[in-house]
Amino acid sequence: MIKKLITISILSLPALLNAQGFQVNLQGQTQQGMGGAGTGLVQDAAAVFFNPGGVSFLKENTINAGATATIANGEFLDAASSRVSRTDNPVSTPFAAYGVFGSLDTTKYFSRFKFGVGIYTPFGSTAKWEDGWTGRFALTSLKLQSIFFQPTVSWKVCDKLGIGAGFVLGYGNVELKEDLPLYSNGTYGTADLKGTALGYGFNAGVYYKPCKKLSIGLTYRSQVNMNLNSGTATITVPQSVASNFPSGPFSSHIPLPQVLTLGFGYQVNSKLALALDINYIGWKAYDTLAFDYKNNTATFPDTKLPRDYKNTFAFRLGGQYKITEKFTARVGVALSLTPIKPGYVTPEVPDADKVNLTCGVGYKISNKFRVDASYTFENLKRTDNNTALQLNGTYKTYLSAPGLSLTYKF
Amino acid sequence: MKNIFYKSVVFASSVTLLLSCKPNLTVPTPSKGSIDASRYVAIGNSITSGFADGALYYDGQMVSFPNLVAQQLKLVGGGSFAQPLMPVSSIGVGSTGNAPFKLDYSTDCLGVTSLAPVPKAAQGDVSAFSTNIYAAQGPFNNMGVPGAKAITVAVSGYGNPANGSGNYNPFFTRMAKNPTSSSMLSDAMLLNPTFFSLFIGNNDVLAYATNGGASDFITPAANFDASINAIVDSLTKNGAKGVIGNVPDITALPYFTTVPWNGLTLTRQGQVDTLNLAIWSNGTATGRYNFKVGNNPFLIKDPSAPLGQRLIKEGEFVLLNVPLDNIKCHGLGSIQAIPNQYVLTATEIANIQTAVSAYNASIRAVADNPKNNLAFVDVNAFLNQTKTGFVYNGITLNAAFVTGGAFSLDGIHLTPMGNALLANEFIKAINVKYSSTIQQVDATKYHSIIFP
Repeated sequence: MIKKLITISILSLPALLNAQGFQVNLQGQTQQGMGGAGTGLVQDAAAVFFNPGGVSFLKENTINAGATATIANGEFLDAASSRVSRTDNPVSTPFAAYGVFGSLDTTKYFSRFKFGVGIYTPFGSTAKWEDGWTGRFALTSLKLQSIFFQPTVSWKVCDKLGIGAGFVLGYGNVELKEDLPLYSNGTYGTADLKGTALGYGFNAGVYYKPCKKLSIGLTYRSQVNMNLNSGTATITVPQSVASNFPSGPFSSHIPLPQVLTLGFGYQVNSKLALALDINYIGWKAYDTLAFDYKNNTATFPDTKLPRDYKNTFAFRLGGQYKITEKFTARVGVALSLTPIKPGYVTPEVPDADKVNLTCGVGYKISNKFRVDASYTFENLKRTDNNTALQLNGTYKTYLSAPGLSLTYKF
Repeated sequence: MKNIFYKSVVFASSVTLLLSCKPNLTVPTPSKGSIDASRYVAIGNSITSGFADGALYYDGQMVSFPNLVAQQLKLVGGGSFAQPLMPVSSIGVGSTGNAPFKLDYSTDCLGVTSLAPVPKAAQGDVSAFSTNIYAAQGPFNNMGVPGAKAITVAVSGYGNPANGSGNYNPFFTRMAKNPTSSSMLSDAMLLNPTFFSLFIGNNDVLAYATNGGASDFITPAANFDASINAIVDSLTKNGAKGVIGNVPDITALPYFTTVPWNGLTLTRQGQVDTLNLAIWSNGTATGRYNFKVGNNPFLIKDPSAPLGQRLIKEGEFVLLNVPLDNIKCHGLGSIQAIPNQYVLTATEIANIQTAVSAYNASIRAVADNPKNNLAFVDVNAFLNQTKTGFVYNGITLNAAFVTGGAFSLDGIHLTPMGNALLANEFIKAINVKYSSTIQQVDATKYHSIIFP
């Protein structure tokens, strides 16, 4: 017992690692320009993501590839000390690429089938806080990427109705870092959790065009459970307590939520088109974030962090106007309601109810090539006292996301 | 085409503009409310002085809670805050002339090496006791003196070596304007404070408690009450406002709670038999101490018990300074009873807790007295929170020794982070009472225990 008395046993780590999914709505430049709406208005190969049912309505075979630079600048004002900490985020570039192929011989029934493939990034997050920031013991940086690969079949059942579905194979990688309150030689310990994950699901949709002007889309993207089976936890602590905090493998699981979307498209006239999407997002699945470390010690147990997200809605409205035969301008707005309840906001994703303003342009270079660009701006502000962390303050983030894509038709 | 080119340029420029856009949260401007922070003086004991790890030393003083409070007061018109700093190069000195503890590898009598607090040097910087720094650095805003009690604050000549060893306080000798005649209070009044903090009373029980009730005494409640009132009367006579903190319960302090009462672990029946036999040979009645395999209570001295010794009971404390090697290798607590100076019995604990309750009633009454109208810090409640865990910006501090992060290596005084959180308690109380909006300290900037 006496040995136990003076042998150091560090209490369990206060809040080892907090992470959460984060929805990214950057899957097509045309749609991004219009507030992210595109389920009910099918225009290009991004329909593989937005509505597999609408893919069969595409008149050409196309390849579309684009990327979006997201630049997020964040601040945190600690309520008690008024200290302001800033993020030092790297630019991340979510990308999306689609191909749609099928017989163009409309005399054949087979031309009613289209085959598509998409690679896109539906969830991701990047947050890197400046060194020594107030919340360093909750999180210093998070990098979460997901890449979905989706082969798709779409069938134009009749001239007014198309259905389609795709299998989703999801790959994710995550790296999460935080400081540990174990101090030696002027520095603190750190924890670095890194790993890759795989998951699968599906994306199915119906596209209905009752008349020339109106189109309606309904899609369901299933939940994708990302299982991280062989992550690496690298724990760096003062040498004298290193055996209490062993590095080693860990496993975890992050649910990427199901999304049900109802979308409308309305072709007002030959120049003007409008689109509206309503998303219902199943964030309730994100209840607990657990890390199961292989090498547990009395002082290094598994971590279970309450997230307790709620299901939520997003509304996306956009319009596009064909200024000339070659040039199209787009504008949009989106309202996203946060899934994070009061008392659960964490510094990886200080999410809030938010309004996105977007705009975009498209330019038809030739009959084969077109280029589309978009710009999204997001302004986030959230004041919260995280119950588990007792981290109390106001987050403010400006996010700018300019993007560009190239489309080739054949 | 030209039109499109023009539009593209406009689009690109606006995008560039928006990209460089950074959020700019409005930082609230602190306000002083109804206090005048220009001359802040802190009266108190070792905790006020910045004493930590068993000694007074420069780094600890820099993170004394009043120094941190003063740093925040500067944002609302506070002046400079002079502390009787030990030299930067000094190792520091404790009340027995000792050096501060550090956490290091230590090999015990069984040859087992583990981490433990060990003195940084064989001896502390005792020269500090004979070097008066008032002329060079005084007068001092930080009038925290290690060892001071409520009843000693107004004692003149409190630092007078002529009183003889044990009858004067060498920590005050080094900083007093005039060691032979100054009192802590008289020196504090030299600055004509406009604002003060008073956090005293711990030693009125601790001097007794940390010696296992074997020496010193508990200040009688009436004397304590009179002293506190006299101190506050002096401090407020020129209209100064202030903040007063109460006395923590000793059960929140790892010095008393780290060594378990039933920490005598016997693994073999042979050990048990030998021990029971040894007790027998001491002349104790058969079966009185029925040691068994597993955890057993320590054997302690108690003059009131038959034969002057008994087993310790749950709820009684073996103090942190008990010689562990003697327990491990020389039968202390089993063959030999642990001496009184290392043990607080239930009776002694009750005496201490009764006194602390009375002190805290006095302190509360003094704070609430309309004549004084002081901000009140419930330090007792604050430190009691560490028993279960105090969560702050993602860190959990608790009262566990070394690992808890709140208490320094002496088990009584706070770590830098602990001091920062205590400073915040004072600031919160000031803000509540005086309608000020003084910002708290970001305690994550201050470390806790230093690990090798």
